[in-house]
Amino acid sequence: MIPLKIRWFACAAALAANTVLAADLRIGMAADITSMDPHAVNITPNNNIGWHVFDALVHVDADARIAPGLAQSWRAVDDTTWEFRLRRNLRFHDGSPVTAEDVLFSLERAEKLPNGQYASFVQRLTEKRALDPYTLRFKTATPYAMVPYDLNSIFIVSKKAASNASPEDFNSGKAMIGTGPFRFTRFARGDRVELAKNPAYWGGAPVWDRVTFRIIPNDPARIAALLAGDVDAIEAIPTPDLARIRGDKRFRLAQKVSWRTIFFHADQYRDASPFVSDRAGKPLPKNPLRDVNVRLAISKSINRQAIVERVMEKAAIPASNLVSPPVFGHVASIKPEAYDPEGAKQLLARAGYPDGFALTLHAPNNRYVNDDQIAQAVAQMLSRVGIATRVETMPINVYLPKARNGDFSFAMLGWGSFSGDLALRALLAAPDAGKGYGAWNWSRYANAALDKMLDQGFATVDEKKREAMAREAAAVALKDQAVVPLHHQIAIWAMKANINYVARTDEYTFAHHMK
Amino acid sequence: MNAAALPGLLPRFARDGVALAALASLGFLIAAALLAPWIAPQNPYDLAQLDLLDGRLAPGAAGADGRIYLLGSDDQGRDIVSAILYGMRTSLLAGSVSTLAALALGLLLGLGAAWFRGWFDAIVMRAADLQLSFPSILIALVLLALLGQGLDKIIIALIAVQWAYYARTARAAALAEREKDYISAATALGLKPARVILRHLLPNCLPPMMVVATVQIAAAISLEATLSFLGLGLPITEPSLGLLIANGYAYLLSGKYWISFFPGLALLALIVCINLVADRLRDLLDPRRAGGAG
Repeated sequence: MIPLKIRWFACAAALAANTVLAADLRIGMAADITSMDPHAVNITPNNNIGWHVFDALVHVDADARIAPGLAQSWRAVDDTTWEFRLRRNLRFHDGSPVTAEDVLFSLERAEKLPNGQYASFVQRLTEKRALDPYTLRFKTATPYAMVPYDLNSIFIVSKKAASNASPEDFNSGKAMIGTGPFRFTRFARGDRVELAKNPAYWGGAPVWDRVTFRIIPNDPARIAALLAGDVDAIEAIPTPDLARIRGDKRFRLAQKVSWRTIFFHADQYRDASPFVSDRAGKPLPKNPLRDVNVRLAISKSINRQAIVERVMEKAAIPASNLVSPPVFGHVASIKPEAYDPEGAKQLLARAGYPDGFALTLHAPNNRYVNDDQIAQAVAQMLSRVGIATRVETMPINVYLPKARNGDFSFAMLGWGSFSGDLALRALLAAPDAGKGYGAWNWSRYANAALDKMLDQGFATVDEKKREAMAREAAAVALKDQAVVPLHHQIAIWAMKANINYVARTDEYTFAHHMK
Repeated sequence: MNAAALPGLLPRFARDGVALAALASLGFLIAAALLAPWIAPQNPYDLAQLDLLDGRLAPGAAGADGRIYLLGSDDQGRDIVSAILYGMRTSLLAGSVSTLAALALGLLLGLGAAWFRGWFDAIVMRAADLQLSFPSILIALVLLALLGQGLDKIIIALIAVQWAYYARTARAAALAEREKDYISAATALGLKPARVILRHLLPNCLPPMMVVATVQIAAAISLEATLSFLGLGLPITEPSLGLLIANGYAYLLSGKYWISFFPGLALLALIVCINLVADRLRDLLDPRRAGGAG
């Protein structure tokens, strides 16, 4: 019976191996990871891996507020000059020291990499130089307060390892030398990323010896992998399964209000909007969405609490702002518009639409949590106050080009931002490519007063003053009902009951914060 | 003669109890679907009649206004009974219109191919071979990706994946018929080809086509459901049976079975009934079968 004995030994060995490797962590991820190169494709799943292997000069904490990273401090020397001081004794995974040279190389690489999507975070730095191996000076052409925020997006790579490296060299691991809490082991495209502990991490060694990120985009499959024990933790729990996981003692949930806000852009620049008509389908003399009373009526007709409870299974909170409560520049005094269908009808009547009008609402169907269900729910609420609403949904890759092209009248968008003024800059400032304003302003809301306040805010280096100005600017736009805010998502992770996670507003899944 | 089989079909059909029950059930389902706007408790396609707060109610539960949701409601507060009735309308409409159109198209092409032979035959039959060599779901998916959403587009896609079956069957039947004496007689009288094809050849090729058509209606309905399930075709605010099943799918694991289950049951009943009726028809019309007219 030798074979049986061998098998028994193999079993015992496997069990022993399991105990020894108890500090392994396997995490199920919802979105595909496309590249290891930290300066190539700027999407959350890629950055999530980047934050494990690399660091930036500036980090953000769980509330999305900036915090020291590789730079232990920074200051504005004058309105257009910034000085960053590196931590001492930092080392890359290969043991070589981190110096200002590596930082300059990384900034240069992010700016110059062909088709790299991080260049915009460096472009405002007109001059970059090292005063000594631990001190860097940056200059901007005009006063610009967002330098530390922008540098949060640039991962610092090793000049020695990454000189002339292509994205392929990062994917293979050759150039994947960083300072982060984990070393890179392996990247299998479409399947997994494997990492190993960096015991010398400056922020404290992580508790896990090895971490595997498995890519499981299919919702039921991801949940099933957690239930079956194939992974120890997953991100993005589908809302229909929330109740089940909540009631299961084997698992624990970690959740936090995300920085992602779901809202609607309403066409405010055309007199004849493509998807607005009277109820019989005939064109209206003017575009009702340009009337602030109509936009307010729309806002009043939406029962946000019902959407949060029924569609989102409480994985959201009603929104009044473009950024969620923990985020810089949130205006707490502006409350979510109360559900008031009668008030909405009166406002519509006063605006000259006693019989309402007809509208088509557009939304993606594979981007935001429950996006197509939210679209239908809003449409039924609008229909009930007299705005006969049709719903058209499409995949995000079809949706975005059409939305940018101005093909829609009333369109859903979800946005995550570090701060209220950055959200306003992208979503509601009058479009100006040169200034980087209004890149996502589909409604073409234009308010010179708002733009001026933003100009002033971004030139104000004092964070306290800037936040006050950001709030003031947000109040102006929100009073104008420039967008119809819906809710802020709550990001939810599920994990085995013996694991703890400090949930993050920026939705990142950090293995080094799981314990 | 097969054509003689058509009159008196119903009495002979009724001799099979199961088939008769299936026919009766089918009649009931069709009637219910046709009368949906009058008998459904709610218009599930009118968003203003839905209430999110009545969403995902269990079968038999009462909504906010006290109305009973017999089979429950879906995530948007759609009454499942009403949604099934309206969904069956869509399914039957898509299935029957596309089948009739594909039948007409296939019949014309098949008869033409059999009559004219030569290059016309070659082109039509190679096109049919080409179409049949791809899975029909694949062709439909590609077509819908190109055409976009809407019931009319679904019908076009269904016609495109079905016509080849009819063309082949019609050609085979017509090839056998055209060698018979009555066709030779008609041709000898100097009748125009169009008249010979339509008045003499066509009626005698119909019985096998009817069998294929009844089977194909069921296939078309299930294909439409598949396409809707995959999220192609119809807008989400006008769910057909397939889309209802897809919407409820996410809730299956959390115990809210009714959103998928009852529409699935309705789809199953519809297809089984049609298939039973089709089976009996084949028995009666196929000369090689014992029950046929021979």
